[in-house]
Amino acid sequence: MTAATPPLVLELRPAESRHYASWGERLETVARHSRPDELHALCEEAYALGARAVLAVVDAPIREALLAFQRWRDVPVWAVVPNMFAFIRDLTDLGMVGAARARFTRLGPAAMVRTGLGAVSRLGAIRRRDFATGTTLVAEMELAALRGLRVTRLFLHPQVTEVALAGGVSAAFTALADRAERLGIEAGIVTHNPLRAAAVLGRELGRFAAVVAPCNPKGYKMFPDREACEQLYRREPGRFIAAEVSAGDAVAPGPALAHVRALGLAGAVLDPRFVERAFRAGT
Amino acid sequence: MSARPPLRAAVVGAGRMGMVHGHLLQVHPETELVGFVDRDTSLAEHLASQGLRAPLYPSVAALYAAAPPDAVFVCTPTHTHVAVVRECLARRVHLFVEKPLATSRADAEAILRLATDAGVMHAAGYVYAHLPVVQAAHDLVAAGALGELLRFTAHAYVSEVFGPKKGWFFQKEQAGGGVVANMASHVLFILGWYFGAIRRLAASTRSHFSTVDDSAQVLFTFANGVTGLLDTSWSVPGTQMLDYGLAVDGRNGTLVLRRERILLHLLAPAAGHDAGWNEIHASDLPADTAFDVSPHIGGEAFYRQLQSFVDACRTGVLPFCSLAEACNTQRMIEAIYASAAAGAPVDA
Repeated sequence: MTAATPPLVLELRPAESRHYASWGERLETVARHSRPDELHALCEEAYALGARAVLAVVDAPIREALLAFQRWRDVPVWAVVPNMFAFIRDLTDLGMVGAARARFTRLGPAAMVRTGLGAVSRLGAIRRRDFATGTTLVAEMELAALRGLRVTRLFLHPQVTEVALAGGVSAAFTALADRAERLGIEAGIVTHNPLRAAAVLGRELGRFAAVVAPCNPKGYKMFPDREACEQLYRREPGRFIAAEVSAGDAVAPGPALAHVRALGLAGAVLDPRFVERAFRAGT
Repeated sequence: MSARPPLRAAVVGAGRMGMVHGHLLQVHPETELVGFVDRDTSLAEHLASQGLRAPLYPSVAALYAAAPPDAVFVCTPTHTHVAVVRECLARRVHLFVEKPLATSRADAEAILRLATDAGVMHAAGYVYAHLPVVQAAHDLVAAGALGELLRFTAHAYVSEVFGPKKGWFFQKEQAGGGVVANMASHVLFILGWYFGAIRRLAASTRSHFSTVDDSAQVLFTFANGVTGLLDTSWSVPGTQMLDYGLAVDGRNGTLVLRRERILLHLLAPAAGHDAGWNEIHASDLPADTAFDVSPHIGGEAFYRQLQSFVDACRTGVLPFCSLAEACNTQRMIEAIYASAAAGAPVDA
C-alpha cells in the first residue's frame, strides 16, 4: 500500500460466517481458513500491506493463528465478543445454561473465580434474563478465554450491537466501555447503523475509540444512505474506521482505499478476500 | 417522518423472530409496536431489557382489550399458526405470518381463507425474497429477459444439524418438517414466485442426525413447463448462515443468482442488457433500508420485508409475498414430503 494509505486493520472471523461468490469458493476458502497456518499467512500478507491491527471474532483456529502471529509481530487484536454464531448454535443445542457452562469451562482457574463472583453479584439480573447483563457476562467469559493474546480494543458482536441499538439499550454499550476501562483497553463499536449508534449513545459515543461502519463509494451497506453516513463521518473522521470498503467485492482495492483516504477516516478494515487480492496484485 | 398515523402493530410470540419483528416495528418510522402476546409472561423483563418497550399480554384477547392493533405479526411455533390466526382475526387486523405458514397444506389454505374472508392485507415471512438481488432477478425473469424459461438448478445449505436436536423446531408435528420446511422453504418460495404453480415433483429426503429431514433432493416440473433440481441440507459443513443459489436457463440465456450478485448471460439483448455476460451487483441496486437489524443474516431484507407489508396495509394492494404465494410454497413442501414417503413422483 502507498504512504497515503489509511491505517489498515485485518478483519478475521470464522470463514463459515462470510458470504462467497459460489458454493465452491465457500468450501475451498472455509477449508483453507480452518488451518491456523493459513490464517497466520493471511495475517502476514495483511501486515505486508500495512495492517497494524486485527479485528477478530475468535474461534480456535483464529486464536491459534493470532498467538503465532503475535509472537513475531507487534500487532494488537481488537476482540469482537461474543462469537454470536457459536453462541446461538450452543443456545439451540445446549440451552442458555448449557451455553454459559460451555464458555465457563473453557476459562482458566482465576478467570473462573472472577466470572463466578461476578455472576453471583448479578444473579437477579441473570434470573430476569436481562439483555445487557447476559451479553456482558458471555462477552466477559469469551474475553477471558482469549488469554495469551494482546487485546487492545473490545467490541460487541454486530448481531448484538444492532439489537441493542434498535432497542436503544445504551447500557449494553456503557457496560462494555466500563469493562474495557477496567482492563486498561479501549472500547469500540462495529455497526451497520452508525447514525443510530450516534443517536442512541449521544455524548457517550465519545467513550468509544473506534466506530467501525461501512464506507465505500457505492453506498453499499451504508444505512440509511451514503450521504447521511458520510455527513456523520465528516463530523469526527478520527473516530470512524471504514468497513465494507470494497462494497462486497464491487470496488477494486486502490479506489476503495482512496475513497476512505479522501474522507480522512481513521482507518480501513480489510476482509481476507480483499487482502489476498491486494497482496497478489502487489498493490 | 410520515404525516400519516403509524400502523399500530403487535407481535404474537416473543421468541427470536418475534423479537426481531418487534425491534423493526419500533425502529420503522411508519409503525408503532403496541404490544407482545406470549403465554410466558416472565419474558416481560427480558423484552424490556432489550428496549422492547411495548407491554406483554398473556393472550390476544387481553391485547385487543388494552391496545387494539391495526396489524398482527404471528411468530409462534408453526403448528399453532392456524389457531392463532383464527384468534387474531376476531378483530379486523392485517396479518403477517412467519414462515413456514403451517405444518400442512390444509392448514395453510385455511389461514389464507381466513385472511381473505376477513378482507385484510396479508404477508408471509420469506425474508430472503426481499433482498434486492432476489427481487432484481425476479424482475428479469418476469420481463422475459431469458426468453422461454426451460430449467433451473438450486441449492440451500446450512451447517446446523450434526447430531440429535431438541426443541419444537426439530419435531415434525410442530415445525412441519425439517430442512425442507424450515430452510429450503426460502428457496421454494423464490422458485414459486419466479415460476408459478408446481405441476409435479419427485423427491427423496434423508434423516442423518435428527428425527426430521436433514437433506433432500427434489426434481420439479412447474405448470409452465420449467423443470429443475433443488438440493438442500442443513448437515453440510462450511456455512453458518443459509447459503442459497439459483441458476436459470431460458432460450435466450442464463441467470445465476447469488447472495451479492446476478450473473446474466444473454444470447440477444433483452431487458436493457447487452448480449453476452452482464453482472448486476447488489451495490448497484437500491437498498431502501433505514436500519439493518441483522447484518450477517438477512441484512436489509428484514427492513424491506416490513416496508412491503406497511405499503400493502396503506394501499390495500397485496404484496408479492402474500399468504397466497406462501400457500404455493406450502403445496411444494407437502408434495416433497408426500413424494419422499411414497418413493414416487406426485402431482401437486
